Amino acid sequence: MAKNYDCVHILQGLLVFGNVVIGMCGIALTAECIYFVSNPHDLYPLLKATENSDIYTSAWIGIFVGLALFALSILGIIGVIKASRTLLLVYIILMLTTFAFEMASCITAATHQDSLTPGLFLKQMLERYQKSEPANNSDNVVTKTWDELMLQNHCCGVLGPSDWQEYTSAFRRMHSDADYPWPRMCCVLDAQGLPINLDGCKLGVSGYYNSNGCYDTISGPVNTHAWGVAWFGFAILCWTFCVLLGTMFYWSRIEY
Amino acid sequence: LPTPPARLPYVPQVPSMALLGKVTASTFALERPRCVFDGLADASDTVWLAVAFANASAAFRNPLSRADVPPYKQLLTARSYMTLETAAAEYSCSAPSPSVLRVGGDTACRDQGRQDPCNGPLPNPGPYRVKFLLMGCRGPKAETRWSEPILLRRAVSPSTIDPAPARRGSAVVVIASILASLGAVLATAVLGALGAKVWDSLCHQDLGTDAFIRRSYRTHHIPPALPQPLPPGCGCSPPGLCRSAPQPPAPC
Repeated sequence: MAKNYDCVHILQGLLVFGNVVIGMCGIALTAECIYFVSNPHDLYPLLKATENSDIYTSAWIGIFVGLALFALSILGIIGVIKASRTLLLVYIILMLTTFAFEMASCITAATHQDSLTPGLFLKQMLERYQKSEPANNSDNVVTKTWDELMLQNHCCGVLGPSDWQEYTSAFRRMHSDADYPWPRMCCVLDAQGLPINLDGCKLGVSGYYNSNGCYDTISGPVNTHAWGVAWFGFAILCWTFCVLLGTMFYWSRIEY
Repeated sequence: LPTPPARLPYVPQVPSMALLGKVTASTFALERPRCVFDGLADASDTVWLAVAFANASAAFRNPLSRADVPPYKQLLTARSYMTLETAAAEYSCSAPSPSVLRVGGDTACRDQGRQDPCNGPLPNPGPYRVKFLLMGCRGPKAETRWSEPILLRRAVSPSTIDPAPARRGSAVVVIASILASLGAVLATAVLGALGAKVWDSLCHQDLGTDAFIRRSYRTHHIPPALPQPLPPGCGCSPPGLCRSAPQPPAPC
């Protein structure tokens, strides 16, 4: 009998510890997802324009899942200490629901991060940047976002200025190739916003134009965001799986 | 008869240095022909650039005077034109100058239709061949050789871009498969536990034998009564059935 009570106490201790970790991870997940949703790198308009903003949906789900994990971990700790069948049953059912939501969020984030290829942004940029008759406001927003991106990061196009040469684009329909082989934002600008050497920029003389592409600047933060949601959520779910199995075993052994 | 122009061995070419814009869809760049016309040119001579479609360069005839120079807007009909009229002194060895000429960089003269030599953008990818022509007061004095055919860039439509990833990343497969299996195990465990409980309750089996976790509960049953001490003197009579007064024992 004494051995049984030792086993009980060890199992209770492990479950309480497991729930404490789940609670802390829930808070961390909420904080991380709030940071991503707050759009620190101003890339949200580009992602929204690709009709592929599911990474933001995953982050929103992550906020609520994190809060739910925290609340459920408290419920779990109370239920384990009081050995209450009802509380633990409620805990198990709600935790399974949260597990399912978080699973959806992780898989969505991982899948959609995969689909943010350079080709996706290239196509969007060529079709929408400086479109002369913007179909809706999102085209203006895309143009504005690209201009700020190219200005602040000293980059041009997705893979480089040759994007504008290799493909026809809405920009090309508005501006002749002879005057604008690539947009003026690709030139090195002075303090007034004018190119320091326009002929050098048009010819592609190094030092007068930005030769690298913006894809790294876009994909860096978005990848961090997606992996943060997907892998951290995955780690939480693996831990929650173990705690849930332990809780179910504990629940089945409680006397009526 | 005017003397035929001297043929110089110089071949115009696109600059070899790395310039991203040296050939675009409607313009191209040429190396500046420094020192090529020294010794032949007077102060009043001009150097022109003759541009012709590659298959029309053999049919090109040097103009006899400045008035005969084919203009830019006749490029598509005459299949050639001449442009970039420059004083010969600018191509001499001693002139400081940028090292690259850009053909096709002037969109204003195309739009305004001026008659002056117009360095307008080229209307189609070509290919083109060019040569330099030194024109004096009495006609062409020297010419360089024709360049190699220069093909301009042709842009394709962005609808040819395939935005789908080449192959699914392995991370997605790992996350999805592991999470799906964890979820399946949990669902099975829950269903199994619930099924076992339902089965046991249906069969009315005793559950308490292997439960080792007991809730802390208070018991409210009446403690069993302690047995009364036997009064002295009870012998063969059955226990608990003693009379209060001692009686002589019945015959055994």
